Amino acid sequence: MPIATTPANATPTLAMPTEAVDDLFAKALQVLLAAHCTPAVVRAVERGDSDVPGQVLWKVLDDSGFANAMLPESRGGAGLTLAQAFPLFELCGRFLVPLPLAETLLVRAWAAARGMDPPTGCEDLDWVKVAAQAVPLRPGLDTQPDTQADTQADVQADIQLDTQAMRAAVLAAQMAGAMQRVLEMTLHYANERQQFGRPLGKFQAIQHQLAVMAEHCLAAHMAAQIGCTPMAASPAHRLDYLPDRLRAGIAKARASEAAVEVAALAHSIHGAIGFTEAFDLQLFTRHLHSWRQTAGAESYWHQEIGRALLAAPEGLALDALRQVTDGA
Amino acid sequence: MLASLPKTAIPPEDEALRAPVRAFLREALRDVPVQLRAKSWMGYDAAFSRALGRQGWLGITLPVEYGGGGRSAFARYVLVEEFLNAGAPVGSHWIADRQSAPLILKYGSEAQKQFYLPPICRGESFFCIGMSEPNAGSDLASVKTRAVKTAVNGVQGWQLNGQKIWTSNAHHCHFMIALVRTSGEAADRKKGLSQVIVDLSLPGVTVRPIRDLTGDSQFCEVFFDNVALADDALIGAEGGGWAQVTAELAYERSGPERIYSSMVLFDAWLAFIRTPAGKTPESARLAGKLFSHLAPLRALSLAVTDKIVQGHSPVVEAASVKDLGVTLEQLMPTVIADDLYSRSSEEIPLDLLQALNYVTQVAPSFSLRGGTRDILRGMIARGLGLR
Repeated sequence: MPIATTPANATPTLAMPTEAVDDLFAKALQVLLAAHCTPAVVRAVERGDSDVPGQVLWKVLDDSGFANAMLPESRGGAGLTLAQAFPLFELCGRFLVPLPLAETLLVRAWAAARGMDPPTGCEDLDWVKVAAQAVPLRPGLDTQPDTQADTQADVQADIQLDTQAMRAAVLAAQMAGAMQRVLEMTLHYANERQQFGRPLGKFQAIQHQLAVMAEHCLAAHMAAQIGCTPMAASPAHRLDYLPDRLRAGIAKARASEAAVEVAALAHSIHGAIGFTEAFDLQLFTRHLHSWRQTAGAESYWHQEIGRALLAAPEGLALDALRQVTDGA
Repeated sequence: MLASLPKTAIPPEDEALRAPVRAFLREALRDVPVQLRAKSWMGYDAAFSRALGRQGWLGITLPVEYGGGGRSAFARYVLVEEFLNAGAPVGSHWIADRQSAPLILKYGSEAQKQFYLPPICRGESFFCIGMSEPNAGSDLASVKTRAVKTAVNGVQGWQLNGQKIWTSNAHHCHFMIALVRTSGEAADRKKGLSQVIVDLSLPGVTVRPIRDLTGDSQFCEVFFDNVALADDALIGAEGGGWAQVTAELAYERSGPERIYSSMVLFDAWLAFIRTPAGKTPESARLAGKLFSHLAPLRALSLAVTDKIVQGHSPVVEAASVKDLGVTLEQLMPTVIADDLYSRSSEEIPLDLLQALNYVTQVAPSFSLRGGTRDILRGMIARGLGLR
């Protein structure tokens, strides 16, 4: 697939150096988004006065080929697994991409795995629901199909339809990206803003608040990586683009809890300026709250995770922990 | 800027240690009640440590020529994870295995390594950490215990005077690695500090246990009154104590013991809420919440271990994981107590309540040992470029 190159007139409004983004695709997408998904574009799409800003952005993203990143190479994609696509999802959050780019990656991978023609436009996961028609969800812990009880095809059909888990995994990754950006903005502000003759960041109380923010970001980022650990490979079907429901739930629950803390601390440190429409912080914190409220907030997933944990036979919680944290 | 940690997995050859360790622990701990297993690494049993030594499970990261296992930090991770989740009494050898032996391996002379390491690996030589003093807690650089160079009949040595406090298990240990001043004055702070290995059986050493709020006598005060140390008591470079202690603390902060201190209680509570008598929707939701915190913590703890395996010293990352980890360790007894004591039913197993009672009492220590919350957050702030 074509890799976008840096436009000569790039205005890296949101571009901050991130050591973690070392992946080739991620670097290219970061450059593209820094140039074309600026806060001004995010605001324009969000206002909804016109369809044009969204269409312009989509054309750039579509032309770059990123929406095909999870399609197999035989269909013109890069064959990225869910884990490999994680940095791209994260960037969608970091830049608040106001289009379902991350979801489109999954939709196209799903369609191709089903032998269908992937949609050519920008699609959210409702496309999958419509395309697959109404087949009941089969939520649960079982990521390893029980071939005695279910045929592989049935299990596959059920797994494919867990759009809530797909959405949860994507959102958790986006939240991790947005939280990291909020932390960076807050650090920058704390270093710049002077009160009582010194930068805010020199006050121990502020330092500790920033340390707590960083801890939540670290935990949410790791939880989101867990959420994007794909299902085990199956001999009959490609599953490495699909999230596992339990792992996705852990990711969404932990990221949602962290988002509340990170957003609150960021606003606390920014003071009144962060409460203005003109300052970009609000774009990120409003999105964090909105994403928390989508595809199940933390208590929804806590119930699901708890039920799954308690349904397991007697044994150490460690073994359930190993099940969700081990694996590539 | 604090970089995010990539998710890693335990290599299969290290994961292979899990089954034999678990089988051994199941047999060894069969009759140990949950309220004793809840002591986690505060549990003390010298015979048990020797039994682990016979299995080759102490000093597993040390080179084979010193009696170790020659394995990676991931091998130790698997062992320790199993010990902690089973509630094995690992307190006797804990410090020697975790940080004294790696410190001696890194900074010791060949003679020191040959003398100290093999008995550690056999579970016969126990160490404690001499850092805190009455007026040097979080402000560790203000230690006043002093070792002065001596020469008696042409034989070089050190004379040690001062006091250490909050020294875990000193009354059961053979040696202490102490941070002491060997030159300069208190105002020199980090300069002039060194580490010495003190044989606690020497004349002039007095160890007094201090009773803690759980009723145990786990930590001690240790007095040095003109203790004569041999020349080779010095470990590492004279004046290099601060750098050595900082490296030692990275071992101390990064391990699984910073996420699993309340795990025996968690498992006992899970067993209860799986029963018809214990099952409630609220408890299932709470179990899910605690589990959703545990999972990323384990993955973070493994990611920090991976950094160590790669030869890095992930001081800031380790501090972050410890602060997050102890927060969860302390949350567990609080919310489990709320769950159990907000029921109309009185059919709660007594041993579960006893374990809860112990963990509730001991929980404040989780965010003291290995660096207080404030110290850790200060380190993270430094990592963020704020200091």
